[in-house]
Amino acid sequence: MTSADEAAPALTSGAALLRAPAARATARALAALAVGWLWALTAGLVVWVLVLVSAVLVPALGVGLPLLALSLRGARAFAAAERTRIEVQTGVVVPAPGRPPVGARRWDRLRDAVGDGRAWSAALYAFLLWLTTTVFFALAGALASGSVAGVVLAAAGQDTVVARWSGLPWPAVVVLALVAAAACLWGAAVATQYGSALVVRAARSLLGPSATEVARARALAAEQDAQTAAAEAHTARERAVELTESRSAAVSAADTERRRIERDLHDGAQQRLVALGVELGVARRLADRDPGHAVAALDLAHREVKEALGELRDLVRGIHPAVLSDRGLDAALSALAGRSPVPVRVEVEGDLTPAGTAAQAAAYFVVAEALTNVAKHAGARSAEVRAALVPGPRLRVTVSDDGRGGARATPGSGLEGLRGRVAALDGTFELESPPGAGTRLTVEVPCAS
Amino acid sequence: MRIVIAEDSVLLLDGLTRLLTAEGHEVAGHTTADSLVRALSGTGPALPDLLVTDVRMPPSHTDEGLRAAVHLRSLHPNLPVLVLSQYVEQSYASELFARGARGLGYVLKDRVADVDEFLDAVARVSAGGTVLDPEVVTQIMARHPGSDLDVLTRREREVLALMAEGRSNTAIADRLVVGLPAVEKHVTNLFMKLGLPPATDDHRRVLAVLRWLDQNGSSR
Repeated sequence: MTSADEAAPALTSGAALLRAPAARATARALAALAVGWLWALTAGLVVWVLVLVSAVLVPALGVGLPLLALSLRGARAFAAAERTRIEVQTGVVVPAPGRPPVGARRWDRLRDAVGDGRAWSAALYAFLLWLTTTVFFALAGALASGSVAGVVLAAAGQDTVVARWSGLPWPAVVVLALVAAAACLWGAAVATQYGSALVVRAARSLLGPSATEVARARALAAEQDAQTAAAEAHTARERAVELTESRSAAVSAADTERRRIERDLHDGAQQRLVALGVELGVARRLADRDPGHAVAALDLAHREVKEALGELRDLVRGIHPAVLSDRGLDAALSALAGRSPVPVRVEVEGDLTPAGTAAQAAAYFVVAEALTNVAKHAGARSAEVRAALVPGPRLRVTVSDDGRGGARATPGSGLEGLRGRVAALDGTFELESPPGAGTRLTVEVPCAS
Repeated sequence: MRIVIAEDSVLLLDGLTRLLTAEGHEVAGHTTADSLVRALSGTGPALPDLLVTDVRMPPSHTDEGLRAAVHLRSLHPNLPVLVLSQYVEQSYASELFARGARGLGYVLKDRVADVDEFLDAVARVSAGGTVLDPEVVTQIMARHPGSDLDVLTRREREVLALMAEGRSNTAIADRLVVGLPAVEKHVTNLFMKLGLPPATDDHRRVLAVLRWLDQNGSSR
């Protein structure tokens, strides 16, 4: 019982009961009872008497109905004021009930006002408040007076009628009078607190929302909870799907990458080495009978070696560029721009090192592939590379050109491989390439945390 | 003699052409399997004395060359074919040797760099012999759990491997640095132990050995 806890602590624990006459709660309860009594005797009395009288008048006279509607509206206003008073005086917050329905037509309004259950409850509360405060105020007053009388008797009543009437010896009368005074004092305190608690309890049940409203509010809250949970579950499911997709994209990107490396090795370095072996074999076989041809074969072999080395260097750079690990993304981007046949402007904002190695490598390969595409397909006069850390923190790289546009990330293409690589890092990949208006690729990857 | 080479790497094709021309052969090159098949399908011009083809060729870079070789062999059963492969694969070899082993070779492409070995293979295949890459033989032998070949001595197993590569008794004797009679004795013994019919012809012998290895290997 929270109303008892707050308004009548004396009823909840022995210690509080012992302290009751001097407790602040008693003073507060007394004030609440006193003000409540005055309030019940004025506004409260008007409200319930008006409602009662107009209700009685309804069957007798037609004028009763609008009057009843009006008094019930008044009961609502009274209830609102009373809720405020209780909150101020006891600290108990009684939630307001829902607003009364307002009909469109006059008859509807009348009917709704008369059928307003909460207004009737408020009128009933006005009556109960009058009854409770009157009874308990009187009771507390009587007990307090009794207490004063006991003390007065003990102090100066040796030759009074009461002392003689009791027939007891005077010391016993003094003790009895003091005991009675104390009992009355405690009784007054407890009655005060209890009366106040009763008023609060009545306010809770009669001035608050109706049982239907409470149930409806609870159902609404439950429904909202369920909706929130469903939304969260949906988000989690979508995230799971996203992760599954990005994981398989990562796997296929890695697979495509391995195929590319194998193909590059097969078509490049390995063929060159075999050809080199052939040239050397030819040179050796011709060394004696045709030294001229043998030297020519050795020249060819020498050229093969140099070209094989160049191809291996390119291939190694394609797997992981040394400049990226040694000097960072900034320098690696400059190296990429320097190798591009199309003039490229590089703009790096601030220090990109905090982005971490994975994000920087992803950014590097995005730019490498994008610049390769620019050189191969775009027919561009110039291109621009921008890299910066943006809030998140994320590493954003943008590669744009003034070429013919129309680029698409079709399955199996380098761009699609990049998309998988970026998705695996939980990044975003945005390709704008309207025909005839250049291409802009923007990629953002989360930085290492 | 006249040699046709199908090889998509222009670099290697040039090298091989130079090598074989220097050896006094007449060489024609193709860079796709399609042009090779078109050139050799007709009955018009005389067939070359040898076809050398890469397995992996455009457009799909898988086994176009091998399929072209199998197809051309079915058209011209007597056309000697030497297949070069980036990596050796037993299933490729089985496909190739399904219809006989006369004038047929299958070697790892890297062996080309060993010019003497390559020229030896060219000579043996064009003469109707059989050449099988030692790595293929190792792969086939590896499919045999120990017990299967346990009836053979270590020496006999070496001889078996060299026979499977398509070597003649003389070549085996050279390789193992033993006398010809010793090799002949090993061959007779291992044929008896494995229950193979005696075969004097080199390529027939290879076929018998391969069949035996294939059957006994795949039955496990």
